[in-house]
Amino acid sequence: MEIRDENFRIWAENECVYFDGVLRLAGPDAYAPIYSLAAAALHENNGRVIFDLTGLEFLNSSGINLLAKLTIEARKQSDVQLVIRGTAQYPWQSKSLPNLKKLFPQLDLQLA
Amino acid sequence: MSKTVLGIYDLSEASFSTGACLTLSDGPLELGWRHSGLTSDFIAEAMSLPFAASKTLHANIHHSIGYLSNELIENAVKFRQPGNIIIESCIALDVFMMRVRNEIDTDTSARFQLILAKMLSAEPGELLIQQIEENAASDATGSGLGLLTLLADYDARLAWVFETSGKDRVTLTTTASLALPLSSNG
Repeated sequence: MEIRDENFRIWAENECVYFDGVLRLAGPDAYAPIYSLAAAALHENNGRVIFDLTGLEFLNSSGINLLAKLTIEARKQSDVQLVIRGTAQYPWQSKSLPNLKKLFPQLDLQLA
Repeated sequence: MSKTVLGIYDLSEASFSTGACLTLSDGPLELGWRHSGLTSDFIAEAMSLPFAASKTLHANIHHSIGYLSNELIENAVKFRQPGNIIIESCIALDVFMMRVRNEIDTDTSARFQLILAKMLSAEPGELLIQQIEENAASDATGSGLGLLTLLADYDARLAWVFETSGKDRVTLTTTASLALPLSSNG
């Protein structure tokens, strides 16, 4: 499954959800289809689920709220180990992703 | 005409005499959501040009200016009443400053002042986590995280001026500043 427009692409492959491009949608309603796609990966997989953000250049605050909601969803599922893969190449990731660890200390946050 | 200032008072008075001034005109542009991204991209590109010699430094400054601009303009587009959005930005020494002015209605003004009073009375990092937990437990139509991420993750300084400008109309002027990390290790 895939969601895309000219600025971004989000797709799932097995236990991994990839986020690419520039995401600045207008709010929770606009992010709802992406939430559904990523939450399905959390519900349909046991063990490790990976959100790969290494191609996500920019995310607005509504998008940060989306990642936080997904992290809280993973926190509710004891059989899922959520891994978030990011990169220090995009400054927003070093600034904002560590907040997700505060929500869910068991989150495996990998910032390369 | 009443006037209320919240946040850092000195910032609300700061001069923008040397910088860029953009007006997003209501009507001809059919102002919409995409103008915030387009405009913040332009401001980030234009303001970070003097730092282009260092790739890391430029990426950091470009991003911080882009994020701040995008969040402030998104708010203006989202909450405005019909009328122009006036945007000023400048770099003075090692500080980026931005000012956004638009009209809102009195209900929005009252609600926003309550949110700001709460925001300014607590530690932004703790409030950010608290707000995220509240959002996850509700069906709120807005995340309310824009200003909190600016305060908690970007150490932005902010000031808001609310001035009554007519019946059911308030002119909101938001001023923000960011210390620029002028070392590439910053």
